[in-house]
Amino acid sequence: MGTPTSTTLPTFLALGVAIAGTLLTMALSVLYLRHVRMERPAIGTFNGVDVVVVFGFIVVLPLLYLVLPLTPLLVVLGLTFTSALVFGLRPVLGPAATWIVVGVVIAANIWMGRTMLGTVVGWQLFWIENDLLVVGAAVATANLYVQGGMRLRHVAWFGLVLAVYDAVFTFVWPITNTLAQRFIGWPFDPSVGFRIGIYNATIGLGDLLIYSLFVIAALKAYGPRAARGAAVISVLCGAVVPALLPLITDVFIDARTDVIVPAQAAFGPAAFLYYRWLRRTYGAERTMAGFLGRADVDRQAPTPSFALSVP
Amino acid sequence: MFETGVRQLRMALSMTWGRPFDTGSLTRLVADAVATVAEFGELGLEAREVIETPFADDADRADHADRSIRRTARRLADLSPFYAELFAASGFHVGTADATTLLGLPTTTKHDLMSRPRDFLCRGSEPHLATRTTGTTGRALEIWLSRYELEVAAALGALSGVLHDELHGDDLMQVHVSSRATAAVQLASMTCRLVGARCRVLGIIAVDDALDALAGSATTMSVNASYLAELVVAAQARGLRPDDFRLRRIDCVSEILSPAVRAAAEQTFGAPVSDNFGMTEVIPVTATSCSAGHLHHDLTMGHVEVLDLRSGDPAAPGELGTLVVSPYFPYRECMPVLRYDTRDVVRPLAGPATCEQAGIPGTSAVLGKASQLVEVAPGHVVTPRELVEAVEDLPSRPWPARFHAEPEGGRVRIDLPAGAVDGMSSAGLTDHFAERGLDARVRVLDDHRAPSLRRVRSDLRELGFVAPEPVGA
Repeated sequence: MGTPTSTTLPTFLALGVAIAGTLLTMALSVLYLRHVRMERPAIGTFNGVDVVVVFGFIVVLPLLYLVLPLTPLLVVLGLTFTSALVFGLRPVLGPAATWIVVGVVIAANIWMGRTMLGTVVGWQLFWIENDLLVVGAAVATANLYVQGGMRLRHVAWFGLVLAVYDAVFTFVWPITNTLAQRFIGWPFDPSVGFRIGIYNATIGLGDLLIYSLFVIAALKAYGPRAARGAAVISVLCGAVVPALLPLITDVFIDARTDVIVPAQAAFGPAAFLYYRWLRRTYGAERTMAGFLGRADVDRQAPTPSFALSVP
Repeated sequence: MFETGVRQLRMALSMTWGRPFDTGSLTRLVADAVATVAEFGELGLEAREVIETPFADDADRADHADRSIRRTARRLADLSPFYAELFAASGFHVGTADATTLLGLPTTTKHDLMSRPRDFLCRGSEPHLATRTTGTTGRALEIWLSRYELEVAAALGALSGVLHDELHGDDLMQVHVSSRATAAVQLASMTCRLVGARCRVLGIIAVDDALDALAGSATTMSVNASYLAELVVAAQARGLRPDDFRLRRIDCVSEILSPAVRAAAEQTFGAPVSDNFGMTEVIPVTATSCSAGHLHHDLTMGHVEVLDLRSGDPAAPGELGTLVVSPYFPYRECMPVLRYDTRDVVRPLAGPATCEQAGIPGTSAVLGKASQLVEVAPGHVVTPRELVEAVEDLPSRPWPARFHAEPEGGRVRIDLPAGAVDGMSSAGLTDHFAERGLDARVRVLDDHRAPSLRRVRSDLRELGFVAPEPVGA
């Protein structure tokens, strides 16, 4: 078997990582939404202002990441992941077990990021552990928003704005590229990735988050059929198209020969149009109360146990 | 969600530090609560803690009261001509004011308010709405409220209604209080508007008209006890049953609600009846009744004392006392009162409460007005509640109770209209009252004298041009 060409392997590696990361995150998010109830504030539901606030963080945080020295940056990232995992695991495991699990995962990530990156196998083990961390954070955050009242309308608009943002910050002001380079090789890399040979392929936490949001918001709003459509759009426009585009054009290859594709630029418009179609076809979105009224959804928060109740 | 957090924080800071509320923010917080219910079907856990301060702890309660009293007294000393004069005359130092030093300040009476109303208006305040007491126990009293006060009271009332699952956006509230009680009417309407509910203010109209409006439409009703009694009688006479109504709650405020009327109302209308305390002069301080029949006072918005009727000292547990209420700033600002003697008689609870509201200090239910107590012998007082409950428990169900009582030879003589005692012998009547702890002699009067025996709020009929109904019908 011959050695793959330098274009083929990175492309298929990127495709595999993107598809696997997207499918895994979406599947776990759906499972979590159907069976786990997160705590929510006494008063308050996600609204348009929250979308603006979240978008504000998305704009400001990367700038902070660029300005902050590495150590405080890693501390911020570590706290972010810890919070997300604690929020997500506490309803499932209970407080004590949650802190033990999160502590082990975080500690392992730091240790592996500092000691195991000298070999390809070390890189691969690190990526697997880091992927668990990132997927867990994406699942928890997506559910926090949707179970907090985020609607498909919010996700669609959010995706549309992110499409513009992603394109601008990839082509005009290439912060995305700089950030991707900065994180790689350090703990708490906010990406799902894997390595084969000299090639690393990643898909960002933000991308996985918006895909998961889109799918579970569609599930909440219009049911399983709409969610399946959302999943297809997410995989095609969010994973397949961005991974394959470099085969068609070299516009996404930077001076370091890194391939940076603004995935949201393809996903955002498609997601928005799909939302408009769903809205026109099925009418108003279902509320969280309507979703919880379905027979195949667990309405009450589960008694913390060590396993999700999978039907 | 982010905005809601900010609004809750602002409200909490106002409640804790006593700064004026941002009424716009409060209003939007109500909308947030309504949106939360619409999205999730219910509020999150611990929702009630949003507006209820943790008063289960005695020290916290005392600290809140002391700070609120000092803040309120300081403002009154600066802006209220009546209280500036009263504080100076009684040597009351606002800088050290607290629940203990407040005991040295004379109470404010209805006579004070009626004789010097202008002196109670705070300088710089902007009176917006005049509201009057119904005057069933004497001349009507006028209180001015500012727009701010109404907006705050309505928003907090609406928030409480949503948080306690008492008012929904799809509710239709039917209001049967006197139209002269403009504050109560206005607050009901504003509260409904904030929650998105519909509000039908009918006042004290002909009961058949009220029932026609009520049947099949209204889901909540705000009503005085005497008018509720008339509604029950009329509904039963028409053969109406719970299925004819959509009511899910009935809020009864003011007047004595007897167990007999309450049970009949719940049976006829198919909805629970809550018996609450509220008074025009001390708006927005209220109290709610629990399943044990206690009255639990809202200590967030005001200080509540029970004073011995003779000495004016704090009443001992189990003894009769008058409710004295001091609404706090920033809940009242235009024409506020401090230590207002309501003359509503209650008994402090004799032991620790074990009801569902045990964490909130309580008293007995209101037993009647102090002026209507009947002292049959030294140390032996019969309260209006005992009399109303006994009369309304007569087999003839003479609702609302019309009677007159006064002491006579160590017993209580009760004058009743003939219709109330229909079919009962003199001995039977004596036994009826004796079974209810009353050593009574009954004097029977002609029925036409009934309305003049005891005035009730349902007497304040608002007549129409079609089939006007005579007062007391």
